[in-house]
Amino acid sequence: MLLINCPYCGERDQSEFSNGGEAHVARPKNPELVSDREWSEYVFIRANPKGIFYERWVHTHGCKKWFNAVRNTSTDEILKIYKLGEEPPTLKDFKNTPKTPSGEPKVGSGNFAVKKL
Amino acid sequence: MSALNNKSPYVIDDQKISFTFDGKKYFGFKGDTIASALLRNNIRLIGRSFKYHRPRGIYTCGIEEPNALVQIPSEYNDPNIRATVKQIYEGMVVESQNRWPSLKNDIGSINNLFSPLFSAGFYYKTFMGPKGFWKKVYEPLIRKTAGLGKPPKKFKSKSIHFYHNVDIVIVGAGLSGLLAAKKLVDTEHDVLLIEQDNFLGGILKNTKKIKTINGQKVNEWLKKTETLIKNSKNINVLKNTTVTTYNFSNHLVALEDKSVGNLQEKNKPELVLHKIRTKHAILANGHIERFISFRNNDLPGVMLAASFEKYIHRYGVIPDNSPVIFTNNSSTFSLVKSLIDLGCKPQAYVDAREKKQIEKKTLDLLDTHNIPAYIKSEIEGCDGKNKVEEVSVRAKKNNITKIKTSMLCVSGGLNPDIHLFTQSRGLIKWDSTQLVFKPNSSFQNTITLGSVSGNFSYKKTSEEVNKKLNFLEETKNLEVKLDINDFEKFNIKELWETKHAKKSLWSKSFADLQNDVTTRDLKQAVLEGFDRIEHLKRFTTNSMGTDQGKISSVNSLGIVSKILKKNISEVGTTIYRPPYTPVSFSAIAGRSTYKFYDPERKTPIHPWHVNNNAVFEDVGQWKRPWYFKKHDGETMYEAVQRESKQVRRTAGILDGTTLGKIEIKGKDALTFMNLVYTNDFSKTKPMSGKYALMLGEDGMVKDDGIVCKINDQHFIATTTTGGAMNVLSHMEEYAQTEWPNLNVYMNSVTEQFATFNISGPKSRIILSRVFSDIDFSNEKFPFMTFNKFNYLETEIRILRASFTGEIGYEVYVPPKYALALWEKIFYYSKDFDLVPYGTETMHLLRAEKGYIIVGQDTDGTVTPIDLNLNWMIGKNKKDFIGKRSLIRSDIVKENRKQLVGILPLNKSENIEEGQHIIESETLSTPIRKPVKMLGHITSSYYSPTLDHCVAMALIKEGRKLIGGKAFVSTPNLKTIPVQIVKPAFVDPKNEKLLS
Ligand SMILES: [Zn+2]
Repeated sequence: MLLINCPYCGERDQSEFSNGGEAHVARPKNPELVSDREWSEYVFIRANPKGIFYERWVHTHGCKKWFNAVRNTSTDEILKIYKLGEEPPTLKDFKNTPKTPSGEPKVGSGNFAVKKL
Repeated sequence: MSALNNKSPYVIDDQKISFTFDGKKYFGFKGDTIASALLRNNIRLIGRSFKYHRPRGIYTCGIEEPNALVQIPSEYNDPNIRATVKQIYEGMVVESQNRWPSLKNDIGSINNLFSPLFSAGFYYKTFMGPKGFWKKVYEPLIRKTAGLGKPPKKFKSKSIHFYHNVDIVIVGAGLSGLLAAKKLVDTEHDVLLIEQDNFLGGILKNTKKIKTINGQKVNEWLKKTETLIKNSKNINVLKNTTVTTYNFSNHLVALEDKSVGNLQEKNKPELVLHKIRTKHAILANGHIERFISFRNNDLPGVMLAASFEKYIHRYGVIPDNSPVIFTNNSSTFSLVKSLIDLGCKPQAYVDAREKKQIEKKTLDLLDTHNIPAYIKSEIEGCDGKNKVEEVSVRAKKNNITKIKTSMLCVSGGLNPDIHLFTQSRGLIKWDSTQLVFKPNSSFQNTITLGSVSGNFSYKKTSEEVNKKLNFLEETKNLEVKLDINDFEKFNIKELWETKHAKKSLWSKSFADLQNDVTTRDLKQAVLEGFDRIEHLKRFTTNSMGTDQGKISSVNSLGIVSKILKKNISEVGTTIYRPPYTPVSFSAIAGRSTYKFYDPERKTPIHPWHVNNNAVFEDVGQWKRPWYFKKHDGETMYEAVQRESKQVRRTAGILDGTTLGKIEIKGKDALTFMNLVYTNDFSKTKPMSGKYALMLGEDGMVKDDGIVCKINDQHFIATTTTGGAMNVLSHMEEYAQTEWPNLNVYMNSVTEQFATFNISGPKSRIILSRVFSDIDFSNEKFPFMTFNKFNYLETEIRILRASFTGEIGYEVYVPPKYALALWEKIFYYSKDFDLVPYGTETMHLLRAEKGYIIVGQDTDGTVTPIDLNLNWMIGKNKKDFIGKRSLIRSDIVKENRKQLVGILPLNKSENIEEGQHIIESETLSTPIRKPVKMLGHITSSYYSPTLDHCVAMALIKEGRKLIGGKAFVSTPNLKTIPVQIVKPAFVDPKNEKLLS
């Protein structure tokens, strides 16, 4: 279970939070003016990368506030938490996180326990 | 044979304990496990195996046991209790598992002769056909003959959960764990020391490998160290506690059994599940010995060498006075030494290593005591009926010597217990000298100490502890001098299995004892293409038992690596997954059982409902009256027909308290409401309501309810009972993330008001009597308006709205006044037979009227257009959630499913909910090809007012088909001819509603 540092309440167990999927997916300002394709991309299509991911969380069983987090999806490390409206960190800020826990291939299960020689 | 009187400091041998095993009474001592007590009594046969029902005995002396699993009917009857862990107590009743009619004569063992049927992947291959055989033949057969123990019939929670936040957790209180703890005594670090056994010391107590520590006898040193730790200000000790899980964020889960050595008390929480957050985890959880596969390596009487030694030193039981010892490594030196020190003599010593590899110490010992030594030899197999009687030693190629013996001690090497380390996502590597997987790099703040890190030499332990822990603040260097009576340097020869010299149907060499996986199964699986270790594991079920292959999984990798001609590090290992040892469901459940599993929510009228014979329905957490029984003999159908008829004849009252109520306030409340609902509230008059729809961004109906506008800055929205939380979260999400510039706040006020829905032709008169100062006339109180009124010392709100189609009112009253008001309403309506009704009647009445229920007539793929609710869409609004989706090509296409009404042509026929609507009158029995389906029935009720069935359905291009005919299927493959109509059956022109 992850430990999540709510920007309003402090560190709490993951079970108090809900994940809100990819962050920074802006709702089109003028929905009528966008094409079916652009609209469906906003409604249905989300990124699901292995590695660094910008995502939303909400402190459901707490202050009910939404906030953003940067998480390495292959290691589950939460690298940064910031409030809505704050400038998101750039990828360059995360040099110290392994891209994956064991230098495993970019695609695949990531289920490697043995150090590759 | 067994030494009943061997002195052991850990078993209290003046406390005799009696227990029964399979109905027979035996004696043991306080502190004995079931296994040590049975060995004391010379019992070797403990159970039957999983697939082949082969006789099995005690293989180990701890948590790693694959064979000796029993059931304890004197307790909760949990299955698969490890006899090597569970301690006995007076009157304990123990039973063997997986045998019928008795352990010695087991009918299922005939499976062993049919073994080709049960080879690798047998579930996938054997039980494929013919059709129908699975349900009738295979499944009952497998259920009876395969498997381990039986599940308990009754469930009783006996556990609590305990949370810790600490700086350091030390797992394991053996030599290295104790040294780590000693280093941390009276520092500022908050430390938790966890030991799975009921004493501290581990290997120090289980063997005689260390004689003195800093000049003190081991027991003295242990006593002093334990006192030191106990008196420290910062270290807490948990005994009888096994760490089962190492999660992300240094989160560990450990299971404590407080009942060890006693009967589990039914009313006390005997199991404690500890959930621990730590900054650092020190794993000092040791190693587990592994075996070697040979012919019939599962016979009772085959035991791991270190386990044999543990029985001697810990329990004072010598399982056998003259066993044969079979090894490929240095660790068996201490067993030979222990036996000789006790005046026993091994029958033979078989070592696979070359002479020069074997330490002089060992060779001298064998020589001095004239123990027959077979060097560079191996055990080919063993034979006997239900137990080991004879072993075959192969010196050179097929030069086989037979030795009569009743016990064979095996050591195939030591496996660092890396289970928790890999759970923490640390990486391991293969050590080709010691032939072990050992930790390489930690992923979290994990430190390994002692044999778990692949350090098998006690000499280096203190050095390692100092080196790895000196970074912790306030720690000082420990000076530890050990007098060791063990091998100098660990040395091993690679040997995973030995070849069969003779072939017989009965002879097998096992790779996994618990799941009955043979070395042949592994070979066959590789031949069939399952050469990836994760695939091979699932195909053969290797190491998938409750013991997770603790003594065998590395051997299987060794065998597979030989077949594939690869290095073991290339073959890799399967992922070790939690839990480390089995955790019973009752421990996980904790206090969340029965009433505590989920809270029950009751309305203020609940006691009245109970007194009036309500039958309740669970709606989310709420208890809602489903229907009211007028007399005991009344069926649900009769009650619902009676209630429905009465509402339309005079009046009825429904407890609608459970409906979600959300208050929305703020300068921009109007703008916000216009964005989250389809309706346009701009021109809605203050103090009036609107039936409103909420969509998802995909344009599908999410919820509905009545939105009351007090003014442009203040709204109250009602939601469905089940949707209350979701609707509030949905509003919050958009308010915070999309439109943070809007000044708007929302809160749930569901519990702040009890709500009564009174409807029926007499509802106006009834309410006029109850609230004599309120004018309920159509002119003063028109449909969809509301007002606040003073009532006693509080305020109530009345809204004129209806979900039945009759004239109706919703009364909102603070809960404190609710029950009295409810009773008052009944008091004033005696002459009208005001009927209390439940949710089922509510559903029937709204269906007669053609009103939908979100979640019943919709399923998340239905738009307002599909429901003929275009009139609710604020066409002039620039934007609202889901608006853009309503003009997507897929939404505007003609042939979507649309809501229609359905009436049976023959008025006496009943339509079932969920049935299909089809074009053809006849269906073939059985159905041989797909039947074209137009749609399905979403709601169907027998209307007592109309005296026939009324139904609603979602049908492809339904609106076009109105006026036409179709057929509805029935469970017995007949069809009912029906007419497709508009979905409004009672008062379609709303004359009654608006009267
Ligand atoms: Zn919070």
